Amino acid sequence: MDNLVITHYLFPAELFAEAQPHVVSTVLGSCVAVCLYDTQLKIGGINHYMLPLWNGTGLASPKYGNIAINKLIERMEKLGSNKANLVAKVFGGGNVLSSSNNTFSIGKRNAQLALDMLAEHKIPIIAQSLGGDHGRQILFNTHTNEVRQKYV
Amino acid sequence: MATKINDKELLQLIKDRLNEDAHSQKVIEQLNNELKEINSKLEASESMKSHFISHIANELVNPFASVLGLSKAILAVDRENWKKVISMVALIHTEVFNLDFQFKNIFMAAKLEAGEESPTPVNVDMHKLIESVIESYKIECKKKKISIKHAFAGEYNFKTDPDKMKLVISNLMSNAIKFSFDEGVVEVVAQHEHKQLSIAVRDYGIGLSEKNRETIFDRFNRVDSGINSNNRGHGLGLSVNKAIVDMLSGTMTVESELGQGSCFTITVPELDVPEFGYSPNADETFFDMDENAEIF
Repeated sequence: MDNLVITHYLFPAELFAEAQPHVVSTVLGSCVAVCLYDTQLKIGGINHYMLPLWNGTGLASPKYGNIAINKLIERMEKLGSNKANLVAKVFGGGNVLSSSNNTFSIGKRNAQLALDMLAEHKIPIIAQSLGGDHGRQILFNTHTNEVRQKYV
Repeated sequence: MATKINDKELLQLIKDRLNEDAHSQKVIEQLNNELKEINSKLEASESMKSHFISHIANELVNPFASVLGLSKAILAVDRENWKKVISMVALIHTEVFNLDFQFKNIFMAAKLEAGEESPTPVNVDMHKLIESVIESYKIECKKKKISIKHAFAGEYNFKTDPDKMKLVISNLMSNAIKFSFDEGVVEVVAQHEHKQLSIAVRDYGIGLSEKNRETIFDRFNRVDSGINSNNRGHGLGLSVNKAIVDMLSGTMTVESELGQGSCFTITVPELDVPEFGYSPNADETFFDMDENAEIF
């Protein structure tokens, strides 16, 4: 087997979903990444959002959870996925910002939004690692749905 | 067993309860108002989006019409009349330059909204890059007799995404020139230290009112300047800038006073893509992290 696994570094506010197998890496603080995986087609996609909700200011980009999750599902469907075959893994939402920002608890709200929206879409969450006080570094194999996580 | 409570205490309790209720009513009302406000903002933004093409139709159709007309006129010019040709070519250049710039913003906005943009880090000579942007606005400046001063402190070499930086600076330059008075000055000051690059673009033009300062980053929002109402644009520039700067983990700030001009400053850190240990061959463990790694 000499087929190459292509790696991709996912920046905040970016979406990734492609038919070929990839290893996607990203670093999460209070941000949240949702990995979607199609159990039939064996393909995956991932987002990385920074804030829970778009409030109408600026571009409606996947920087915001409500947009990032819907767009990721759309992208998976474009690749031929049936929503019923999708499973999710959710990471991030750590409380890494200084305590002065605690009142906003961005991490917690980011994480809650993922849980709520995935429930709304009836996409089961088969693994999650949310909250805590540390940042995370994750690697997502879009072909096998394996996610490796390390605290940073 | 009922608690014994005298009338006075009871009255006080009821009073407290009522107060509490009134308070939560107020909070709920406030939240409701906030929600309504956000909702109407969202609706407005979405309707702007759906009308976007018709909003910018003029911006796109007019330049094409002038390019068509001008090129036809050039074809009809006498051989000897070079001066006329050159002036018309200059007009064509301006139109096409603006069009190209607008397209770049429109497509960048679309890609950013689709999450399809990611920065590509390259070692860039930022001094050269800024100069090339300034150079591209030379004709524009000549028309309004605007002079551009620029300064660069620190090492020229900086790791960032050149195309995105170019667009960000172009947007700031374009605004600075657009909102300057004739014969004004635009200053571009860059500073590179401690792996941070800040670029400030200052004009001494019409400036922003407090109200406008809050909405300039909204997409499709165009500042209605009153005195300069023939200003063109699609209202995407600053929201594109904001999204790009966010993507580069930087900041964009604005200082402005009505009638005094504005100063936009962007600050971005050197772009670094973390390297992950991985084996390029799928037959091995495809990545190699220490034992602390958890597998999900």
